[in-house]
Amino acid sequence: MASDIHMGYTSGKLRTEILRGLSLAVDAGQLTLIAGPSGCGKSTLLSILSGLQRPDAGSVVALGEDLFRGDRHTLDRFRLQHTGFVFQGFNLFPALTALEQVMLPLGYMGVADAAARERGCAALEEVGLAGRMHLLPAELSGGEKQRVAIARALVKQPQLLFADEPTSALDAANGQIVIDTLRRIAHEHGTTVLCVSHDPRLVTHADRVLQMEDGAILGPVHA
Amino acid sequence: MIPLARKTLVHEWRRFLPAVLAVAFSGLLLLMQAALVFGIFGATAVYITASDADLWVGYPGTQSIELGRPITPRARTALLMDPGVARVEPFAWIDGDWRGPAGTGGVSVFVSGISPRPEGMIFSDVLTAAQRAALREPFAVIVDRADLPKLGVPIGGRALINGQLVRIAGVASGIRALGGVNVVASLDTARALDNDTGGSEVAYYVAKLKPGADAAAVAARINADAHGYAAWTASSFARRAILYWMFQTGAGLGVVFLAVVVFIVGAIITSQTLMGAIAGSVREYATLHALGVSLGSLRRVVLEQAAWIGVGGLVAGAVLSFGLIALARTQDVPVQLNVPAWLVCAALVMGIALVSGIAAVRALRHADPALLLR
Repeated sequence: MASDIHMGYTSGKLRTEILRGLSLAVDAGQLTLIAGPSGCGKSTLLSILSGLQRPDAGSVVALGEDLFRGDRHTLDRFRLQHTGFVFQGFNLFPALTALEQVMLPLGYMGVADAAARERGCAALEEVGLAGRMHLLPAELSGGEKQRVAIARALVKQPQLLFADEPTSALDAANGQIVIDTLRRIAHEHGTTVLCVSHDPRLVTHADRVLQMEDGAILGPVHA
Repeated sequence: MIPLARKTLVHEWRRFLPAVLAVAFSGLLLLMQAALVFGIFGATAVYITASDADLWVGYPGTQSIELGRPITPRARTALLMDPGVARVEPFAWIDGDWRGPAGTGGVSVFVSGISPRPEGMIFSDVLTAAQRAALREPFAVIVDRADLPKLGVPIGGRALINGQLVRIAGVASGIRALGGVNVVASLDTARALDNDTGGSEVAYYVAKLKPGADAAAVAARINADAHGYAAWTASSFARRAILYWMFQTGAGLGVVFLAVVVFIVGAIITSQTLMGAIAGSVREYATLHALGVSLGSLRRVVLEQAAWIGVGGLVAGAVLSFGLIALARTQDVPVQLNVPAWLVCAALVMGIALVSGIAAVRALRHADPALLLR
């Protein structure tokens, strides 16, 4: 999927190389975990693999498409059609109910309201929030918020799902639910789930674990 | 489609309230200055607006009442011959020099010579039939109650106008002039006071039209065959007078200048508030952007919010303005508003909101999804 990725930041006169010629392939229909200490470049790698950030050099091919060949709009469209995201912070709109959060991206994809509602309900049911659809984020617990965020990513029926430290703000029980949900999505929907985390609890649940350090993949560790 | 813009506005109304208030107060300022200017300069057209004449005929090109020149009596004949005209009445407008008792010196006065009959058209809104009848007495005059101290003479008192002795027979209200004192007299009295032409010619003829007659059409007919005089509808002549004063004195330019200042200040405050509100939700916007929602769509959300803020500010500003104008009226502050002024102010208020929205869109630059991964 990714080959020879280079990425660095310039801060003042200092140039920091974060990714140094990294290459990697991720399997479809699996939960792949990229683990590593903080600062090793795993979040940067995720943002490049998901088309959020353009690398200094190298290419990413996803679903047969070279992500960084087109312009910004092509990239936006690719993400809208094919990718879902779950972030460490839940980033839910305070004004919208759980169901509305989930329906929101569908509106931008051109899905009609009735169909969006149906798909939104189904997605929330899948993450176990059928009874809490009409609550605002302020009325939900942290674990529930993250499940709404997962439902929001899931409802688009993406082929690619990216998760960045999805459990770091959650307690053990809620973290467990989130991991199980991500894994189930990979296996039941055939979605390629790429998760970045330094949470050791995740390692045993991933189909494949890639250990990362200092901007390079050390090698696969199969769970 | 989930109405993100409206839902967020309602849910986080506290965050958006300052923007709504900024827009509302901008609207209030714009409206109040318009009301004051129209109120103050409306006095220049009081002869027209306080009368029920439909048509005015005067010297060609006359821009304001006080600039009238004597016109030929043929104008009266032309009016009477028009099938749309019901009644014609002369109106004399004369500059005068008022000499009251020692202590007030000379005062410039404008003498209006009007018909003392009950059906007289000039000042029909401000004079009672009894007051009109009182003008039949030779050299009787009526002035505005508020001008008495300036003239130095009480009701029933005597003074000189252009060297002739007159008596204040009564007072009215609502006939104050800008830059002088209005004195109302009968046509005969006015003619006697006129040192220039000896009263043989008057500056204006006014006409009442038959029911159903179109004032603009009659004016056009009169103008088609007019030599030495011209006809205007009452409303167009009033507008001419007000505009002449506004631009002759520079007040009109002042209004425009102040409106620009209010617009800029309103837009800056509103855009800052909006940017603050966007900055508060920037992570959520970034998430949407990560999910593939284009920046263009996010911009539309911000612009929609700005438009709603404009609507809210418009409503709040209108309510405040109504209250303030009502208060001003009870305190005899000259305020006056018309529909075009309301519409222009409303358009400016929406402009303030939308310009702010366009400026605030810049805050979305920070909605970079990569920031969510740090």
